[in-house]
Amino acid sequence: MTHHQIAIEMDVNGVRHHINVAPGTTLLEVLREHLNLKGTKHGCGNGECGACTVIMNGKAVNACLVLAVRANKKRITTIEGLASNRQLHPIQKEFIENGAVQCGFCTPGMIISAKSLLDETPEPDRDDIKEALSGNLCRCSGYQKIVQAVASASQSMKRGA
Amino acid sequence: MEKNELKVVGKGYPRHEAMEKVTGSACYTDDLVIPNLAYGAILRSPYPHARISSIDKSEAENTPGVLGILLPKDVPSRLYNSSGNPPSPLAVSDERILTDHPLHVGDRIAAVAAESPAACREGLSKISVVYEPLTPVFEIDKAIDENASCLHPEISDSNIFKTIKAEEGDVEAGFKASELVMEDCFTTPAVSHVCLETVGCICYYTQDGRLTIWSNSQTLFHERRILSEILGLPESKIRIIKPAMGGGFGSRQQLHNQPVGALLSKLVNRPVKIFNSREEEMVGTCVRHESKCHIKTGVSKEGLLQAFQAEVYHNTGAYGTHGPIVLAAQSKKLPYRISHYRYEGNCVYTNAPVAGAMRGYGNPQISFAREVLFDRIARRLKMDPVEFRLKNHIHPGDRIPGSPLELKSCALRECIEAGEKIRKEIDDRKTSDITNPDSDIVESWGVALGMHTSGPSNNTGMSSAAILVNDDGSANLLTGSADMGQGSETALSQIVAEVLGIELNDVTVTSADTLYTPFEMGTFASSQAYVAGNAVFAAAEDVVENVKTALMKYYKIGPEAIVWKDGLFQIAAPEEKISLTFKEAIAKITFVENGTIIIGRSSFKAEHSPPPFAVCWAKVAFDKLTRSIKIQHIIQVVDVGRPLNPDIITGQIEGGIMMGLGYALMEQVTIDKRASKPSANDLLAYRIPSSMDMPEIHTHIVTSFEPTGPFGAKSVGEMTTVPVAPAIVNAVAAASGDDISSLPLTKYYNIINRR
Repeated sequence: MTHHQIAIEMDVNGVRHHINVAPGTTLLEVLREHLNLKGTKHGCGNGECGACTVIMNGKAVNACLVLAVRANKKRITTIEGLASNRQLHPIQKEFIENGAVQCGFCTPGMIISAKSLLDETPEPDRDDIKEALSGNLCRCSGYQKIVQAVASASQSMKRGA
Repeated sequence: MEKNELKVVGKGYPRHEAMEKVTGSACYTDDLVIPNLAYGAILRSPYPHARISSIDKSEAENTPGVLGILLPKDVPSRLYNSSGNPPSPLAVSDERILTDHPLHVGDRIAAVAAESPAACREGLSKISVVYEPLTPVFEIDKAIDENASCLHPEISDSNIFKTIKAEEGDVEAGFKASELVMEDCFTTPAVSHVCLETVGCICYYTQDGRLTIWSNSQTLFHERRILSEILGLPESKIRIIKPAMGGGFGSRQQLHNQPVGALLSKLVNRPVKIFNSREEEMVGTCVRHESKCHIKTGVSKEGLLQAFQAEVYHNTGAYGTHGPIVLAAQSKKLPYRISHYRYEGNCVYTNAPVAGAMRGYGNPQISFAREVLFDRIARRLKMDPVEFRLKNHIHPGDRIPGSPLELKSCALRECIEAGEKIRKEIDDRKTSDITNPDSDIVESWGVALGMHTSGPSNNTGMSSAAILVNDDGSANLLTGSADMGQGSETALSQIVAEVLGIELNDVTVTSADTLYTPFEMGTFASSQAYVAGNAVFAAAEDVVENVKTALMKYYKIGPEAIVWKDGLFQIAAPEEKISLTFKEAIAKITFVENGTIIIGRSSFKAEHSPPPFAVCWAKVAFDKLTRSIKIQHIIQVVDVGRPLNPDIITGQIEGGIMMGLGYALMEQVTIDKRASKPSANDLLAYRIPSSMDMPEIHTHIVTSFEPTGPFGAKSVGEMTTVPVAPAIVNAVAAASGDDISSLPLTKYYNIINRR
């Protein structure tokens, strides 16, 4: 079974990639299988759980619902792109400090959704945070420490930490 | 084990693997990059009950990319029990690797190995199967009807294939002596675990007869034993490795795709990866047992419990897996003083999705029934429900009815008092959803009590550990513990650091690899803190003993001249009195003339399963006009002995509350009667609570100490979900005046979550 392949290019975490994909390939498959970036997770394949959340041209999206061809010439940020120069992003630090990580499977998607929120709303209140994260399911934590971590991150980012 | 000031245990250290998880570098099973990997997929029955008259794989075999196909005739037909338990007559062998007589939607019929997931799907779609659909039965009542046909006639001539009984005293006499007797029948639905990571494995069966499996598994060692029996391989040739794991909650406490994966790998002579889609996960793994509990209770006019009787039916679906063991566990979950007790639990086969282990293992079902009935009794007696619990709860020195063991710790009174204090503080805030005196809104509190276990309550808990001490005095802990995200690796490392008097950073943990880590019963029955914890504690003490022996050899002294106290070896040698830290001692004894390498080891069989206890309150606003409910607050206070890591424990409380909230309000595995299929197959139809569904949560850990636990600890993992649903239901019942006997509440009320 051969499909004709489509050539696409995308900037992922600051690195330009040229890839050939079959038409039905999702952005999630490109990230995990073509680019070997395993941090973005496959939880449901239906856009319901948020484990595959990435930022595409500044907007948080479910990578399982984005066709790779629609990501052509776009800028993607995945969880691997958050820390820089071996320094954790404040959101990552707060997740660790606040005990917001249990099994960790929802964590990359949660952190990306949190980053997307804080990029747009640097000082969200608790309800803003809960709403921004409502598309990311977590079965371990009950969300309490996750919401706290995001609230702490917004404080520490405000202080320029 | 003394109650002195501890340096590492009792502190909220972050999980050691947190950095990997927040950077996306933690390696889960699907993240592994394996050379020459092939993919596998399972053909699953679309019918809940059918006979297959023929299967034709010829077209599928010729599909490009397909490497091989297995049909029922190609695999061992031996019956097995898939649950990760030690051998037991309660683990009934009724399941096959592949079947031509599917008994539930999702049952395994055939399997394909191919070069890619897409080729797998293509291959599956080309397998021709001729089904003769048979009449399915999904409901307990229909399955136990005398005219119902038997799912497993070779096992039992009734769909009730196992009945578990427990009895103490004389319930009939107890009811006669009761001033008030109340009874009702309570029902709870099957629900799904919804781990974010689905079940999956990579199996590599090499030509020289060795099998390596990477899987998200909770019970590696039992699975190795079962696979050894099914496949005819010695255990030494089977290696099971658990990478980072995205949750468990009991869904991985049994074999799923591994037997098929192993045989596909053997067929095509390549490693084969099989991962469940979310839909397969919802219908083809396991669910919580749907229950029907007839509960009858008698009390004196002062409100003292006289007699308690439970007749329970559990819908175990098409295969038994854990079914009878869940009932045996359920029979010992009554945290009250009662002399007259009778329990009967019936395990029922139906063509519904297979039920297996899920957090609480029978306890949420019976605790819901009991706590709701107890509240009705309290209201009938015009007694505060909290007062009713205070009068009747179990005390240290008592036995749990149905269990032979005496409680050595129980801080239920302290839990109730602490929670009442928090409740009062919340009420004193005087914030309310009631905005005017004519409002249709009523606010009420509800309370419920729960207990669980620290390791299996049938005392089969068993664990072992090894500690390799490095020449710089740091330590490598080897534990079979299959951390599924609950933090067991971190807690166990804290025990090692505390015993040896070294930093937590000096302890590295390797876990869950049957080739390298010692036997561990598995991460279930909330066994890690207590059973694995005791094993690790004993291994660390063995390290200390071995260092002492080496020091005695070095200084040429006897045991009376050396004492280990407060992290120091105090040595009275002939020439000198010297104190050495652990690291200094290791430096002294390693690279010398009669040098020693220090390895600590242990084997621990649990004689006790000391129950932890939890009390849960819920505050609910009920709108009489719209029949809507809004959960405003949930309080949970726990007795877990001495907490090994308070942050891990509060994380378990909060997560358990979320699961209990979902159970109470919105979750159920539904079966569409006309289509004869489970209908909630994805996360759109099957809702679990999101961040917006969570009310304000208040948690507290009381001071307590369990003398048989490592540093006084008991376990926590499952208990926290047990009392949540009844607390919520009791609040709604109090606010609405309704008698509620069934979950989820979305059947009867609207659920509001927005502030």
